[in-house]
Amino acid sequence: MTDFLLSPLFAMPLNLCAFLLGLALYRRTNTALLHPIVGAGLMVAAVLWSLDIPYDAYREASGVLYVLLGPAVVALAVPVKQNLTVVRQAGWPLAVTIAVGALLAPITAMGIALILGATQTVLMALTGKSITTPIAMALAEKIHTAQSLAAGIAVFTGVVGAVAGPPLLNRLNIRDHRVIGIALGVNAHAVGTARALEISALCGAFAALAMGLCGALTAMVLPLLLSS
Amino acid sequence: MDSFRGPLQSLMQWLGGAAVLLICDFAGRQISQVLTLPVPGSVVGMLVLLLGLMLYGRVPRGLAVVSGQLLRLLALLFLPAAVGVFYLEGLSVNDWLALLAALVIGTLISLVLCALLMQKLLGKGDGDSADD
Repeated sequence: MTDFLLSPLFAMPLNLCAFLLGLALYRRTNTALLHPIVGAGLMVAAVLWSLDIPYDAYREASGVLYVLLGPAVVALAVPVKQNLTVVRQAGWPLAVTIAVGALLAPITAMGIALILGATQTVLMALTGKSITTPIAMALAEKIHTAQSLAAGIAVFTGVVGAVAGPPLLNRLNIRDHRVIGIALGVNAHAVGTARALEISALCGAFAALAMGLCGALTAMVLPLLLSS
Repeated sequence: MDSFRGPLQSLMQWLGGAAVLLICDFAGRQISQVLTLPVPGSVVGMLVLLLGLMLYGRVPRGLAVVSGQLLRLLALLFLPAAVGVFYLEGLSVNDWLALLAALVIGTLISLVLCALLMQKLLGKGDGDSADD
């Protein structure tokens, strides 16, 4: 019986059920606060805890999902290409904002953490906070930080940005959908892009492009900065 | 006539799209490894695909379908890693508080700055009177 609980035969259906339930919960409540990963993560953790399954065994049994993360990162090139034509007229302001935003997002967070006396582990994990989770995890592997922490930080950042971002920008009288899209894509990656698509297709296109380019840029520049 | 296609043809297109993703991922990893780039292999693969698509001019149907499916499943793919957050060790209470503050405050600050920058640049770019 224990063998079964530790095998992919148990882990994979568990992941799938938790994901579908998390998705259903998200659709029902319709708030970014309950991003599918939030409900699904809590559910899996509850099952592991109640059945006394060690996390390492569960992670190993879920190996197939890790293998698919690589192709998923590659697939991000498709929405970037599809939206490239829509946003072409925004040209250089777009490129500059993405480049500056890609640096600004980790720097503000690391600055605050530094002031509050966080340890090296936390500071390093914050570097990938605003990039889409699969890229953040690939990056974490490269710069030797905990993948779980990187994933958790990225998800949390996305939720914060997607929930608080649009009302905050509205307060500041920023109504241009192109601007909102870029801000969400750079700072709240996939969760922000999903939110941007709810605002308008134009907003979503800018967000999808910003998410992809910002992720790629961060993954290229950051390891160079850290190794020097 | 584009909408009328046999299931076999759709399947072949789907497989073709999946193969493109796997090949780009593999190529990216190889490039990253051979050139000892600090960049993750999958990100190199993404750039290879983006470059290819820009040269090709459009996104092949099968590739668009597979990519859409995979990206809709993203949350499932990183679920095991996200669950690991509950099992993190070695972080003090102070670390958690600093982390929380950095994520909430830092995200909102950079989001607003990013929006203001884009607005400023766009206003100048097309000579709009939006500049106040």
